[in-house]
Amino acid sequence: MTRNTTRALTTAVLLLLSGSVLAQQLPQLKPDEVIRYRKAGYAFMNWNMTKLKAMLDGSVPFNKDQALAAAASINSTVNSGMGALYTPGSDKDSGNEKTRLKSEFFTQPDKVKEVAGAYRIAGTKLAAAAATGDPSQIKPAFDEMGKACKGCHEAFRKD
Amino acid sequence: MTASRIRLWDLPLRLFHWSLVATVLGAISTGLIGGGWMVWHGRQGLAVVGLLAFRLVWGFVGSTHARFAAFFPTPGKIAAYLRGQWQGVGHNPLGALSVFALLGLLSVQVASGLLANDDIAFNGPLYPLIDKALSDAATGWHRLVVNALYLLLALHVAAIAFHARIKRQNLVRPMITGWHEGPAEQESRGGGLPLFVCALIVALAVTYAASGMWIPAPAPLAPAPTMDW
Repeated sequence: MTRNTTRALTTAVLLLLSGSVLAQQLPQLKPDEVIRYRKAGYAFMNWNMTKLKAMLDGSVPFNKDQALAAAASINSTVNSGMGALYTPGSDKDSGNEKTRLKSEFFTQPDKVKEVAGAYRIAGTKLAAAAATGDPSQIKPAFDEMGKACKGCHEAFRKD
Repeated sequence: MTASRIRLWDLPLRLFHWSLVATVLGAISTGLIGGGWMVWHGRQGLAVVGLLAFRLVWGFVGSTHARFAAFFPTPGKIAAYLRGQWQGVGHNPLGALSVFALLGLLSVQVASGLLANDDIAFNGPLYPLIDKALSDAATGWHRLVVNALYLLLALHVAAIAFHARIKRQNLVRPMITGWHEGPAEQESRGGGLPLFVCALIVALAVTYAASGMWIPAPAPLAPAPTMDW
């Protein structure tokens, strides 16, 4: 494994381990801020998924460093403790920030746990696959990541 | 009026029908699964676009019972049918309502799909023509309209079962073989090969337009000054 790869994986593992700690030591946020931060996170992952897709379908040449950077960015965003941004009541627009979060998010904690768990595993696996530098291994992990994103969209994103 | 075997559904119409069944079922499945199957979802959607375009043309130049004018459900015809006084062959007035509803709904579904995005990595082929906010709205319609489509498809199959069990009419066989019992003067006419080729050309042209392949690549943004961070 290259030094980059090791560092990406170590970061991912550290983030995973520290998840519970992160949740407890966060600065106070205003309702419009939690919406803004989480939308920023998803938009950033959308960009990185788009880059991976373009490399995997051949519309741009495959570059293993860029693929690793994209996958590691997705993984670290997925595992950055974004769950803390889902404060009760944040299914309502606030200030200039609009959200499409369904209120069911706060009444179906088991479903949230299920989709969030699948999502974190998919992120970790995507980063591990990208570390191999092999598109044929990244493709299925990328597909699973997309399905994990969709899992939450179907359950908790308004149309 | 003697009942005999007549040609009811012409071959292009039957091919259209079963191709539509296959592509719509495929598109529903791939859309539900998502992930890497979204690429196929897009292709199947484009196939549906082509099939609908073909059907639209065939509704004007196809053989007798394929023409929209032949089975357009006027309130008078529907009332007569409900009183048991409808004498025609082909789509009965209620079935015709369902045909137009299905074709209309499928058109809305593919049109919205062409503009949609999934917020993950997949965009409809005409997404580059509009902005994200409009695409999000189209995506919302796409996800909403599919429920109406489920309902109509269920109704379609239920009606076929009703005709088979209660009215003892097999509606599936004519859609496969093209033959049906009916008076000889109701035999389908018209819709020859040249017209079929015309409809096919229109269908291919519409599919090409919907594929977005003609959209020029956007002018590249000026490269960011440094690419090494």
